[in-house]
Amino acid sequence: MTDALCPSYAVSLGYLGVVAAATLSNFGAAWGTWKSGVSVLNTGIRHPTSVMKNIIPIVMAGVIGIYGLIVAVILAESIPTPSKNGDNAYSIYTAMSHLCAGLCCGASGLAAGGCIGIVGDYGVRA
Amino acid sequence: MSTCSSPYCNAGWGELLSSLSPYGYANFGIAFGLGFSVVGAAWGIWLTGSSLVGAAVKAPRIRSKNLISVIFCEATAIYGVIMAIILANKIKKPSDGITSELPEDWDFPSFYYAGYGMFSAGLSVGLTNIASGVSVGIAGSSCAIADAQDSSLFVKILIVEIFASALGIFGIIVGIIESNAANFPIASMSQE
Repeated sequence: MTDALCPSYAVSLGYLGVVAAATLSNFGAAWGTWKSGVSVLNTGIRHPTSVMKNIIPIVMAGVIGIYGLIVAVILAESIPTPSKNGDNAYSIYTAMSHLCAGLCCGASGLAAGGCIGIVGDYGVRA
Repeated sequence: MSTCSSPYCNAGWGELLSSLSPYGYANFGIAFGLGFSVVGAAWGIWLTGSSLVGAAVKAPRIRSKNLISVIFCEATAIYGVIMAIILANKIKKPSDGITSELPEDWDFPSFYYAGYGMFSAGLSVGLTNIASGVSVGIAGSSCAIADAQDSSLFVKILIVEIFASALGIFGIIVGIIESNAANFPIASMSQE
């Protein structure tokens, strides 16, 4: 039924890649949103006209979350269900590549979101 | 490839991952999905609530408008409840007649598939809701303070909170896609 190259636990690794893509890039997006959001609002007290201009870092941080969503959906759609007679169609090779694709997207989304946050924070105050 | 043949070592990650029951994985997914969502919502509510209550001392007019921030945080908890209900309805017992052990021709591949799928659905919803809840909370607390200073800023500030709460929606989209394919088998394959 399940041979050594398509074990049942391969699905767990593939889905962990989906989780990593979705959650880590959303953490980055959240970090970017709150860090730049706080400085936008604080400078908006003295300079109310600057608020709409300085929303740009927050929009960019939201886009990072969308990247994570796109990668997570692509990965989740490409994990096949087992066939009717009990054979697994998902190899450990594909599972590992999905896991690392998700981690790649997630970790870079985390870093990008944090970077947007810190740069946006100082840029708005400048 | 050298494998350890002593009775004290296992066959590696594969054996570890497949030795936990898929029913356990699925129920942990529900627990993490709901639990982490509530953690995110609570974190956001106390961040925004404490600033709101403090700023309202000097500017009582901000009290009712700024409850929107609290409502945005609450929405992340609701996403967790929705996911938990969807997952809980998908967990099915084996049909009657299976008492002590699962039969030999049980559909183990889709059994494991369902367990892992529900675990990762719950985990993605829960963790993204932590991010979303904290983000809305911090934005909401600055919103309350800025609104107390200058009430014309409020509507623009809401844009920041809308972006922050969109992150929770991303999580539940991923969770629903993952849990759609996860179906527990209820009878052995020869009977289906």
